[in-house]
Amino acid sequence: MRNYSALLFASGLAFLLMVIAWQFTIGGAPMLIGNAILQQAADELGAANLVTSVVLGYRGIDTLGEIAILFTAATATSLVLSSISGQRSRPAPNTAQSGTILISSSRLLFPLLLTLGLYIVLHGHLTPGGGFQGGVILAAAFFLPLLAVPGHGVNHSGLALVEGFSGAAFILIGIIALFQGNAFLQPFMGHGAMGSLFSAGTLPLLYIAVGLKVGAELSGLLANLAEIGPAHPVAEISVETQSVKGSAHQ
Amino acid sequence: MSAMELHWLLYAAAFGLIVIGIIGVVTLSNIFRIVLALVIAEAGANLLLVIAGYRFDAIAPILSGSSVATGVMVDPVPQAMVLTSIVIGVGIQALALALVIKVYQHYKTLDLREIHQRLMNDIDQESGVRPLLSPHKPAGKRPLPEPQTVTGYHDIARGGNE
Amino acid sequence: MNNIAFNIALPLLAAFLLPVIHNGSAKASRLVGPFVLLAMCWFAAAYFIFIEHPVALALGGFLPPLGISFHLDQLSLLMAVIIPLMLLLLWPYTNREGFREEALLLLLAGASSGMALSGDLFNIYVFYELLSVASFGLAASTHNGAAFAATFRYLVISGLGTVLALTGIGLIYTQTGTLNLAHIGQLAAQLDNNVGLAAFALIVLGIGVKAEIFPVNGWVPEVYATAKPRISALLAGLISKLAVLAIVRLLVVAYADTDALSLLLVLGILGIIWGELSAWRAKDLKRMFAFSSIGQLGMVLVAFSIPGEAGMFAGLAMMLHHLLVKPALFMLTENWSGSISSLTGAARQSPLGAALFILFALSLIGVPPFPGFWAKLIMVTGLVGADDSLYLLALGILLTATVIEANYLIRCAIQLYAPADENSSQSAKHGRLTLSISSALGVVLIISLFSITPLGNKLYQIAAEASNRSLYINTTLSNAQVPALRKIQ
Repeated sequence: MRNYSALLFASGLAFLLMVIAWQFTIGGAPMLIGNAILQQAADELGAANLVTSVVLGYRGIDTLGEIAILFTAATATSLVLSSISGQRSRPAPNTAQSGTILISSSRLLFPLLLTLGLYIVLHGHLTPGGGFQGGVILAAAFFLPLLAVPGHGVNHSGLALVEGFSGAAFILIGIIALFQGNAFLQPFMGHGAMGSLFSAGTLPLLYIAVGLKVGAELSGLLANLAEIGPAHPVAEISVETQSVKGSAHQ
Repeated sequence: MSAMELHWLLYAAAFGLIVIGIIGVVTLSNIFRIVLALVIAEAGANLLLVIAGYRFDAIAPILSGSSVATGVMVDPVPQAMVLTSIVIGVGIQALALALVIKVYQHYKTLDLREIHQRLMNDIDQESGVRPLLSPHKPAGKRPLPEPQTVTGYHDIARGGNE
Repeated sequence: MNNIAFNIALPLLAAFLLPVIHNGSAKASRLVGPFVLLAMCWFAAAYFIFIEHPVALALGGFLPPLGISFHLDQLSLLMAVIIPLMLLLLWPYTNREGFREEALLLLLAGASSGMALSGDLFNIYVFYELLSVASFGLAASTHNGAAFAATFRYLVISGLGTVLALTGIGLIYTQTGTLNLAHIGQLAAQLDNNVGLAAFALIVLGIGVKAEIFPVNGWVPEVYATAKPRISALLAGLISKLAVLAIVRLLVVAYADTDALSLLLVLGILGIIWGELSAWRAKDLKRMFAFSSIGQLGMVLVAFSIPGEAGMFAGLAMMLHHLLVKPALFMLTENWSGSISSLTGAARQSPLGAALFILFALSLIGVPPFPGFWAKLIMVTGLVGADDSLYLLALGILLTATVIEANYLIRCAIQLYAPADENSSQSAKHGRLTLSISSALGVVLIISLFSITPLGNKLYQIAAEASNRSLYINTTLSNAQVPALRKIQ
């Protein structure tokens, strides 16, 4: 039954794709809003990185939705992984060691990753990168020790604090603009000199909030996934799978 | 490579990834592989978005120094869209993995067909309408349907493991 | 200080801070949600009452089509009022376990408001994804293996939908070079080809996962059977309608004169047939209602596919009626989860529940004088007026589906009032909260029954405004300078 419906679905999609291929004009999109933004963004926002102008300026509410999705995914994941809703299952202390190379390199890399992540977050309005990219690197910095020493606990309430306040900061910056008589999430505080660190108004502040939020969110997610202890003894699982296989081959 | 050839190649890659991913999701039976196929399909869709804003021989939309001369730059809007959709993908994938772990803990298998069949049995059992085990008379005085639940389970389990 | 952007900002802000507040004081954290929802109600209602003509709100101060704009007309504001009201009604007041479900519900409120208000294709997609992820978490919150497995399948189908919708949006961008709905509408001529239609089909299939549209609704019976009744009520009642509305907006603005209408019509007809026949075969209430909501949404889709104002009017009437009735029916399944045959004599244990069931079932079937009858009458009028053989076929299927619906719902009702025998379950009584939620919806239904004429007039006015394509486009773009079309060299 499932196979037939799957085949039907796939063939329908194949038909759609063929229709597209038949009439598709190769050569890229007409850059309607793209060109307009390329011409106006520098004057309107004062950020050297025009992608940042789009991400935080023209499409700022998309970015708010985006960090909300990460937060939702993290919340839903911890809801799914907690054995009783609301309480996190504490993993059994894992004493397994992961070897000298991983442990010492994680100690070596931690400050470097932290610096790189912060640099990329802070220069999001000037160079390629920004809050999301830097935030992922920050999360990697905090996740490496977890790989090196698996039993190493993560301060979840601290992460929740960073998560909550960085997300709130993003929205509050938007609301401050509203109280100044502008639109929600409208950048303010002047442009500064194009290309300098303190330029582009509130965009760097927004990106710092995004970076912290993404970093905290991803480390929380990874820590949650890493903290799952085996709920059933391993032996039981292998017996079960064998019995299932056995019954299937009868 | 000319602009036209490059565009063809990029679009072919994007649609190819989408098709490979969708075929994977539809035909695979291992739920972990299904998640991976979903990742591939999402990568294809993201690639399609990026190349929607691509121009041949254009530079990244970043102004150097204080010059406002835009030159020939690629479209910044699809890049912002892709950033958003990548992050959305990450969130969904993390949640999918958490669910894979939980499903495995409960059903002790990764075979989607078997999981689906046992899920249907669970639902039937919980609502007390499993035809073979239920002593209840059928509602509305209609004849009982063929007890396909149990035979179907074995057929599908066998088919899934072959 | 009143701004509709608060309807997005406040619930998200509250959800972000809820873990922190919960760590400080669990009692205070339980008050946050209802308070925020009340505030959202107030903001949206103030706009809904005082708005005279549609307004476009440029977010971030960037004029559309460069920036993202919200389109505030009576339809989107009506949905923005209904969303917090529905969530207030279905809020987990007795939940003493954790704050996560409340945070997810708040995120759901923000995302649905965004989806109802937004006038930008990609922004709608972002809010749609936020709503999806929140609904995955809520569907899995039952915490048993069946719920996890059902949610996983739901997530995979939704993930496929995401890919399809994203591909569709990418195709529209390659054809028009813009994302703002009004601007897309202005450039609709460029979408009147196979690529444009394929893009619409992809978006319908993608967003249609939540709207329970025919080929992508495999998750519906499983999730509704395993999730809490509150969550099923929310998904079937509210979330599906928002997805339908997003599709309808795109349809009205950019695809009003194309084959897209036939696509929706065919998908709707298939949905009616599949949903109603499966509901007829279902042996427990939860899955019966799940399948019946697939059928009902098929009807909504068919109604919206009627061209012009008539289609919008019929679609809105069917949609709002289903939005009112289905949550109440799902709430009644709370203690009636067993097979239908085990419900024999349940009316004696829960007389009010059974009476409410009869009320909603009659309205769902479309027995005069209940509102469901008027909704179906409007739809039949529209189908006859469309004057096309495919629409007449749809009319025949609609009437047949109504007969099937009547058959299975009345079968249940008879079972409820049958004399109890040894098969009847022991605990068919409803909780007080369940009954009060259903009764509240029942009261709304009865009030609308007695004010059907003014309601119909208001709805027609809303429909006329929402189906006015040039009004939509002018509202958004009247103040903005539209950049000239420029092909790449």
